[in-house]
Amino acid sequence: MLSYALIGGIMYGLYFGLVGMGLNLIFGVMRMINLAHGDFIMLGAFLTYWLYYLFGFNPLIVIPISIVVFLVFGFLMYYVFVPKLLHSKDPEMLSFILFFGVSQVIEAIIILFFGNNQISVPSTIFAKLFNVSTFTLFGNTFPISWLVVSVACIVAFVLIYVYFFYTKLGYATRAIMANRHEALVSGIDVNKVSAIAFGVGIAAASLAGVMGFFMIGAAFPSMGTDLTTISFTIIVLGALGNPLGTVIGGLIYGVAIMLMQTYFSSWTNVLPYLLLIFVILIKPEGLLGKAVRNV
Amino acid sequence: MRKFSALIVFLFLFVVGFSGIAMSKEAPKYIKVGTLYASSGPFAKPSTAEFKGLNFWVHYVNSKGGVYVKAFHKRIPVKLVAYDDQSSTATATTLYNQLITQDHVNILVADFGSVLTSVAVPLAKVHKILLFDVTGTGSKFFTPDNPYIVLCSLPTSGRWPYTLADFIISEKINRIAIVYSSNDFDQSQAVTLHNKLKKAGVDIVYYHAVPSNTSNYSIILHNIKAKNPNAVIEFGYPNNDIAFLQNLESSGLKFNMVFTVFPGQLFKLLKANVGVKALSYGYTYPTPPLLRYNKVNLGMGIDKFEKEFEKYSGKTPNFLNIAGYNVGLIIQKTLETSKKFNQLAFRKAIAGFSGKAFTLDGLFKVNKEGAQIGEMLPVAQFVPRGQGLKMNIVYPPSMKTAKAVYPAP
Repeated sequence: MLSYALIGGIMYGLYFGLVGMGLNLIFGVMRMINLAHGDFIMLGAFLTYWLYYLFGFNPLIVIPISIVVFLVFGFLMYYVFVPKLLHSKDPEMLSFILFFGVSQVIEAIIILFFGNNQISVPSTIFAKLFNVSTFTLFGNTFPISWLVVSVACIVAFVLIYVYFFYTKLGYATRAIMANRHEALVSGIDVNKVSAIAFGVGIAAASLAGVMGFFMIGAAFPSMGTDLTTISFTIIVLGALGNPLGTVIGGLIYGVAIMLMQTYFSSWTNVLPYLLLIFVILIKPEGLLGKAVRNV
Repeated sequence: MRKFSALIVFLFLFVVGFSGIAMSKEAPKYIKVGTLYASSGPFAKPSTAEFKGLNFWVHYVNSKGGVYVKAFHKRIPVKLVAYDDQSSTATATTLYNQLITQDHVNILVADFGSVLTSVAVPLAKVHKILLFDVTGTGSKFFTPDNPYIVLCSLPTSGRWPYTLADFIISEKINRIAIVYSSNDFDQSQAVTLHNKLKKAGVDIVYYHAVPSNTSNYSIILHNIKAKNPNAVIEFGYPNNDIAFLQNLESSGLKFNMVFTVFPGQLFKLLKANVGVKALSYGYTYPTPPLLRYNKVNLGMGIDKFEKEFEKYSGKTPNFLNIAGYNVGLIIQKTLETSKKFNQLAFRKAIAGFSGKAFTLDGLFKVNKEGAQIGEMLPVAQFVPRGQGLKMNIVYPPSMKTAKAVYPAP
């Protein structure tokens, strides 16, 4: 049971690394908490559901569609909201209020179009695609969908790593994360780079939504709030402002959840938050805290 | 002067007292029915469905000129006062208070389920207003010192598994796993089932609670499998049931018997989310409209209700629409039979027709504490038929329509 919990927890944690990634990326670049983060995950799930039932698209096909759609959406959204916020007296507090409003609007619109029902795509869709329903790892059997999600998450992390460390845009993004004003002075088009980073953050959230059916069950319009809270926990565990620390935070969260479900199932929800309190008390900057300003 | 003052005081008291009596006999323009619903949050789906059922009842009685109120010997239109609690107990507390103290509703109806009803129970007791509890079946709500609550649909949750326990014992299924969400509704079912099975000598090999917002049961299913049970019983809310059945199907694990609560209440929702295969050979508690009660003496039978409700809303009703309509019927009967227009008289009137009223939801019978004991939940099994599913009632013998397919193929 222990090995199952650990291996399952790592796969589950990879997914939650992806869940928190977008939130941390946006925080890193803009020093703003996107309270609508969970709602973008929910939108990714609804897009997947919609494309599956309308056109029969497999979630793997939805991934690139979702990335493009939400990248553009995030890019445009940045120009609508963020520059004005950054020029205000208290951008951090105002961003809380603004993104809370955005969250409520997104939820209301989805309820308007889809109703309050839970929605899902078949949990066996990958089993049918690959003609195999489970796979075995170190003597433990897992659903094939977990493997697909884990691979998708790892690919996403690698791409984000490549973006940060092997592209000019990534260098510029890191420069902004280190010091926005110095980046501006050194000639970086801060708004354009931030807008792209904002788009990437929203796209990462939508990707978590596409994959969500296979890890967190059905989607529904009000699921965003819980996911934002979980994401916040994960990024604080890893390190606020360090997107790659999110992977560590996600893994700790995933393994903790699985161990608790195995040994103290009724206390499952408590441990991640105990960890959060513990990390804040012992290492307030997060486990990879040094990297906050250096990525 | 002293005599004159006494006369003035006497006349004042007489006028005030008399007008008070006259006012209390004056029929209200409307019967104000106050309730809450959740347009968002985890209870949005069942809550709005229940609310729609109550709305239908209001629409229907008002189309007949209102509800007959015996205390005033006349029909009075019903006015529904409703607020959105967004599935939050904190918001619900404020709004229930508002309904009672600001809107001065005549009838108070609870929101869906035990969680959102739990905050209404003490408020109703303090303000001495009868709470028409629609589906809040938590057994702790019903106490001998509280006459201000009546459960209208479904028995208290502690009674739900009675027939399920009998079924398991009769089929000689001897290794049981029980996983339940940690809320009063599910916990009371788990406790009842656990105690009954233990008493009968059945081996409970797994008995654990999980948080109510659990959305991944994969590892729990794996842990259950390690205990090698013959039957797995999952008590949860719809979100839990969906996640549980989805994870079960994708895990490739097989059990001889799997029981979940909500496929029998929200069949379409569960089928849409988990598919026919995941529900095949699964067991549940069937409720109307899966159970067809047409021989009724209060309100419409199920066939007529389905037609009228479809005309009204354009949708086929589910159990929670029926529960919402059913509470309307109980309110209607209360007002039709209560000799006085006050809360304790309403409670007395309900005791008068308890055990005699049969609605599309089954027999309405409450005990002294106001808990529903008339309705009984049989055990049903879904079996594949063509591309869909057929529901067979497998227990109790008096309602049985087919033999259980056990073990599941």
